Amino acid sequence: MNEEFICRCEEVTRKEIEEAIADGATTVAGVKKRTRAGMGLCQGRTCRRLVTQMLSKHKAAEQIMPDTSRPPVRAITVEEIINSEDR
Amino acid sequence: MQTSDVVIIGGGVVGCSIAYHLGKRGIPTHVIEKDDIAMGTSGACDKAVLLQSKNPGIHLELALKSVKMFPELQKSLDTDIEFLNHGCMIVIQNENQWKVMEGFVERQKKLGLDVKLLDKNEARDRQPALSEDILGSTYSPMDCEANPIYLTLGLYRGAKKHGVKFSLGTKVTGIKLEKGRIKSVETDSGEILCKYVVNATGVYAPTIGRMVGLNIPIVPRRGQIIITEPVPKLIHGGLNCARYITAKFRPELLGTDEMAKLGVGLALGQTENGNLLIGGTREFVGFNKTTTHKALKAILKHAASIVPAIKNVHVIRSFAGLRPYTPDGLPILGEVPEVPGFIMAAGHEGDGIALSAITGRIISEVIADGKPSDDLNIDMTKLSLDRFKNVDVNEFRESHNCYSFAS
Ligand SMILES: Cc1cc2nc3c(=O)[nH]c(=O)nc-3n(C[C@H](O)[C@H](O)[C@H](O)COP(=O)(O)OP(=O)(O)OC[C@H]3O[C@@H](n4cnc5c(N)ncnc54)[C@H](O)[C@@H]3O)c2cc1C
Repeated sequence: MNEEFICRCEEVTRKEIEEAIADGATTVAGVKKRTRAGMGLCQGRTCRRLVTQMLSKHKAAEQIMPDTSRPPVRAITVEEIINSEDR
Repeated sequence: MQTSDVVIIGGGVVGCSIAYHLGKRGIPTHVIEKDDIAMGTSGACDKAVLLQSKNPGIHLELALKSVKMFPELQKSLDTDIEFLNHGCMIVIQNENQWKVMEGFVERQKKLGLDVKLLDKNEARDRQPALSEDILGSTYSPMDCEANPIYLTLGLYRGAKKHGVKFSLGTKVTGIKLEKGRIKSVETDSGEILCKYVVNATGVYAPTIGRMVGLNIPIVPRRGQIIITEPVPKLIHGGLNCARYITAKFRPELLGTDEMAKLGVGLALGQTENGNLLIGGTREFVGFNKTTTHKALKAILKHAASIVPAIKNVHVIRSFAGLRPYTPDGLPILGEVPEVPGFIMAAGHEGDGIALSAITGRIISEVIADGKPSDDLNIDMTKLSLDRFKNVDVNEFRESHNCYSFAS
């Protein structure tokens, strides 16, 4: 059970996330800072929901701040950005 | 009502380092953090523990003393802070920069920094990914790095182990004085009686200062950073460019084009996992923490002119952090004589990770012994709030696009 990976990109286990919550994390961002969950290639698309679920056992769901979304949403190359139109 | 000898406001790298040192001295300490550990600037920054980016003078002296403390931290903290001593190069792209860096390096050497200039071939031997078009670089084997988030968390856990109390998710809303001296700190979940208050709130320090009638000259200086997918080893040690040094200390010399306005200068490194961290900018935009397409594009264009191989790498994320900037770029440290018991520890600009260790030691000694120990040999007047007594703080804030106080 404890070997279950919550974040597959960074291979973060359920146990590690529980430890992060015990260390004081109350938000998705707090768990991310402590474990790297959500920092991998998919940027938390799968694990964000699972982490939120785990946090909600300790805190009312509406108190769990949504994680900040940081562009780009999809991975693009450095060159594509350099050649992109100014916005 | 709760009591504690010391209340530290702010759970960033600075507050946690001070807490760790006070905890080790056995001084009752309570840290109040409105969000969570490393959720402010200390969680939105780079990993350099650099000496080369420090101005020759007290700035470099502080950094030299701070860096010496890191190996011990790596050993004694239970968290791996990923401290590495693997050197850094500052890339030089034209003759003008060469002249500036020549002088800079000479002055740094006099203070004991092991640093030298490399010609193009020497630079490319050391860092094969560098472009053919560079002129040369500097190199210092003394530069280091550490993981800023793990460092902050490690100091937090170390402080807790030494008995320091932490209230996370708790906001300081006021400070009470009695006969002009610190009496207590009010938070959104109660009041704490104390003898000392440490203002370690980074860019928020002016808001806390106002609670005791002080006008503190600190404004946010935004930095944007890009993170790429993991790639095989490309960058060895730290890599900055001469523009970075200019953007930090003399931005007016960069000119007036878009890149200059954004304060673009290269800060490039690769993590253990292989991700590239590509920075960055230096912008005065108040408390705005968003990233902008314009800046990301300018950062990447500049970075690719120095390391062309990054062009084909995928970007996965970007973020921005706010450096706490003071009029002379140095932190404000020490007790404020007008408000006995009120201690400043903020304004570390782009150096808070590197200077966190020495700041923790200085402030803990100021509290425990009344002043930093003689063997540290630090001229505290150069770091005092009082050094800005002739600065028009409101004018400083407004000329740096800071029109509000963060709540
Ligand atoms: C893009 C970028 C790159 C950088 N790269 C480097 C680098 O490579 N090397 C280096 O040495 N430095 C670097 N820095 C600088 C470094 O990040 C900062 O100097 C350092 O993090 C400042 O730490 P701090 O503890 O003072 O502030 P913070 O980490 O911001 O901590 C202040 C804390 O105070 C809390 N707070 C505020 N108000 C209240 C209140 N009323 N009640 C309770 N809590 C409150 C906040 O929530 C926050 O957590 C960089 C900065 C940026 C932006």
